[in-house]
Amino acid sequence: MILKKIEVNINGRDYCLDVEENLRLIDLLRDKLKLTGTKEGCGEGECGACTVIMGGKIVNSCLVLAFQADKSRIITIEGIEEDDVIKNSFIEEGAVQCGFCTPGMVLAAKSLLDKNLNPTEEEIREAISGNLCRCTGYNKIVSAVKKAAKLKRGGDGE
Amino acid sequence: MKKRGKGIACIFYGTGYGNGFPDVSRAYARLLEDGRVEISVGATEVGQGAKTVMVQIAAETLGLLDKDIVLINEDTSKTPDAGTAAASRQTYNTGNAVKIACENLKEKILEDAAKLLGVNTKVGLCMKDGLIYVKSYPSKKVSLKEIAELNKDLQAEGVFTAHTTQMDENGQGAPYWPYTFASCAVEVEVDTETGEVSILRAKHVLDVGRAVNPSLVEGQIDGGFAMGVGYALMEDIGLKDGKMTNGSFEKYIIPTALDIPEIEKVLIEYPEDTAPYGAKGIGEPVMIPVAPAILNAIYDAIGVRFYEIPVTPERVLLALQSKG
Amino acid sequence: MNELKIVGKSINKIDAKDKVDGSAIYPQDIYLENMAFGVTIRSTRPHAFIKVDTKEAGKIDGVLKVFTYKDVPGKNHHGVVLKDHEVFASKKVRRIGDPIAFIVAETKEIAEYAKNFIKVEYEDIPAVFDPEEAMKEDSPKVHDRDNVFYHFKIRRGDVEKAFKECHVIVENVYKVPMVDHAFLQPEAGVAFLDEDGRVVVIASTQYPHFDQEEIAESLGVNKEMVRVLTPAVGGAFGGREDITVQIHLAIAALTLKRPVKTVYSREESFLAHSKRHAMKMYYKTGALKDGTLLALEAKIIGDSGAYASWAMNVLRKSAVHATGPYYIPNVKVDSFAVYTNNPFTGAMRGFGATQVPIAYEQQMDILAEKLGLTPIEIRLKNCFREGSETATGQVLEGFVPLERCIEELKSF
Repeated sequence: MILKKIEVNINGRDYCLDVEENLRLIDLLRDKLKLTGTKEGCGEGECGACTVIMGGKIVNSCLVLAFQADKSRIITIEGIEEDDVIKNSFIEEGAVQCGFCTPGMVLAAKSLLDKNLNPTEEEIREAISGNLCRCTGYNKIVSAVKKAAKLKRGGDGE
Repeated sequence: MKKRGKGIACIFYGTGYGNGFPDVSRAYARLLEDGRVEISVGATEVGQGAKTVMVQIAAETLGLLDKDIVLINEDTSKTPDAGTAAASRQTYNTGNAVKIACENLKEKILEDAAKLLGVNTKVGLCMKDGLIYVKSYPSKKVSLKEIAELNKDLQAEGVFTAHTTQMDENGQGAPYWPYTFASCAVEVEVDTETGEVSILRAKHVLDVGRAVNPSLVEGQIDGGFAMGVGYALMEDIGLKDGKMTNGSFEKYIIPTALDIPEIEKVLIEYPEDTAPYGAKGIGEPVMIPVAPAILNAIYDAIGVRFYEIPVTPERVLLALQSKG
Repeated sequence: MNELKIVGKSINKIDAKDKVDGSAIYPQDIYLENMAFGVTIRSTRPHAFIKVDTKEAGKIDGVLKVFTYKDVPGKNHHGVVLKDHEVFASKKVRRIGDPIAFIVAETKEIAEYAKNFIKVEYEDIPAVFDPEEAMKEDSPKVHDRDNVFYHFKIRRGDVEKAFKECHVIVENVYKVPMVDHAFLQPEAGVAFLDEDGRVVVIASTQYPHFDQEEIAESLGVNKEMVRVLTPAVGGAFGGREDITVQIHLAIAALTLKRPVKTVYSREESFLAHSKRHAMKMYYKTGALKDGTLLALEAKIIGDSGAYASWAMNVLRKSAVHATGPYYIPNVKVDSFAVYTNNPFTGAMRGFGATQVPIAYEQQMDILAEKLGLTPIEIRLKNCFREGSETATGQVLEGFVPLERCIEELKSF
């Protein structure tokens, strides 16, 4: 097995790792670093449960090889701060049911709001359309993102 | 061309295993040393909110806050059997068992409190906010914590069996109870060029008995609606000689956030006599009227009846062609 | 009733915080010391006698053991109603996806590699995929019995006479396919022995106490020796009612005396759990000139696939709900559960009551149009009210707020 050396910053921490050439980023995160908040729902980039933010963009970590993350900054759900408005909005708006899609949804929402603090409903739906959810029917997730956007803009979220 | 149409559907749904099956839920309630109450019950949280609902029912019955309830529900060696988390039965069946366990525990607590307070009967005692007091003389009181310190073995069981009868050879009998009712209206737009059907708006009316947690009920309606959209328009495992041709998420299409409209929701609350605080099961009824309402709306839009689902764009185009 | 303090309030879901933090533990998130990994070998043929040779795979460095039906200490069966599933196929497979063997190795990679060395010899036998074909006497038998393993009847009033009195009769055949629960969390689990020697199985399930019984029966131990833990469950919708990973893991952990984990891919998840019953529904509905429903006759054929799972209960529920929420004095319903060599079907949200409204609610609109009524008018005319009798003769007591549900739609 060929090993590759990578340097990667995950959730603000620098790692220098030897990774197998065929190791997927999701396996690095989950199996090696035990960052199990990143979920695997399909392994083919269709469901978005494994969404992480890499270099400021959301990626499906099941479709990225670990060595491709060399020199990049990665944010997983564990890297989102404790009192984050998006997470709190998800809780308060009832946007969480089984929770398996939730980390990916939160990161997709973060990626949207990092670029656009005033998204339309259509933009929100578009931004999370790569993330499947079988429980919530999405509406409360959309409300949570709207509320988070408003709070981030300085409103009261109502 | 884009054509719009409206459709409705209404349904009923009988909760539980039914047909005289011993549909039993059990729960234990125990007073902890710190004055909180532990509820142990084998009801699985599958995302639907069972944990939250059981805590709310327990807290209500004991006059406590949700944070004063410690729920144990994830280990068969520590929990009694509460039946399956299916058939829309956990809130109704197991909710009843939790309520009964808490009522039984409350009686035991009141008996101890009467002794401690030196009153001649538990009648006239009130239990609220972790305190037991004489209703007409509230300064005479004792806390749950004080009772727990003196009696470390205060616990009670709650058992609930849904009442149904087995049907006879003509299918006559009372197979389920309670029944939940629901209706749904949708407006669709059919693109006659591409065959695509989109849902523009929807209204969902649900008989809930009582909503233990309205936000959770709304979440069930949204989720059931989405599953109904998938059933009507997208989903099919694609069997060919016993083989699934759509056995992956690349092929098996379920709705995304872009496929679901906002839904106007109406919760109808007439508390059901046999239910815990009147709450009926709603996890399945929420989904059932959605697909037929969509099919009726498609007919209204383009005048084509679909006797087979899913109504994929290919089927719409084919039907429009043969209609001419 | 006194004013309620917390029932009726939208308090935050108590498991939501862990789930938004990513700290909620699903079975795939569990990593234990000295944990081995298992993968399942499944049939690739829908109906065949099999011969399995695991010798080569067993010799691979790092493979701990390959389990087959010979290694099941107790009963090689499970099932929620009929015990017609085998833990591992012994003589024949009845559908694509039947588990045949479970390879347990030091790592997932080794277990996956060893898959290539399991030899399964299939001797194909005639298969049947269409339930109506399967109902014929001379069709291939999926089990050692008639393929029609359940027939439920409702007989009320006299439909033949009633149809003669109807002003309009609508007759159609409706078809609904098998669909998947598609819960987001694929099946996974971990089993190990605890300090008391009990087999602990951590798995996503809807009914841990029933799993406990089924695991114990296959291990040949009493159920107190089995503990089922249900951590976070990533959706279910009926798809976690039947056994998937539980017994395989328990046998492996008990035999190897070390923790064993398995995680299904999405494709394997599709193969492993039940589907919603495909149904063919023959409907004949008759009404008087003013829209009053007089008679309904329905034949509902449910494709149970290779195993029964909940089929009897599902097809019974279909029949009981076949009229829709409408009073109809003359009803004849026949529902059938039929084995085929398709994927097995079981519980899914609505459980037989989801399929029939595809038929009965379209019948209502078709009747309404023929009679010059609106969809709302025909429903209000016939809907259940307090004291109505259902097709099974059940009297609906208490509140029956269906009329209100329909009235609410007038403003849409």
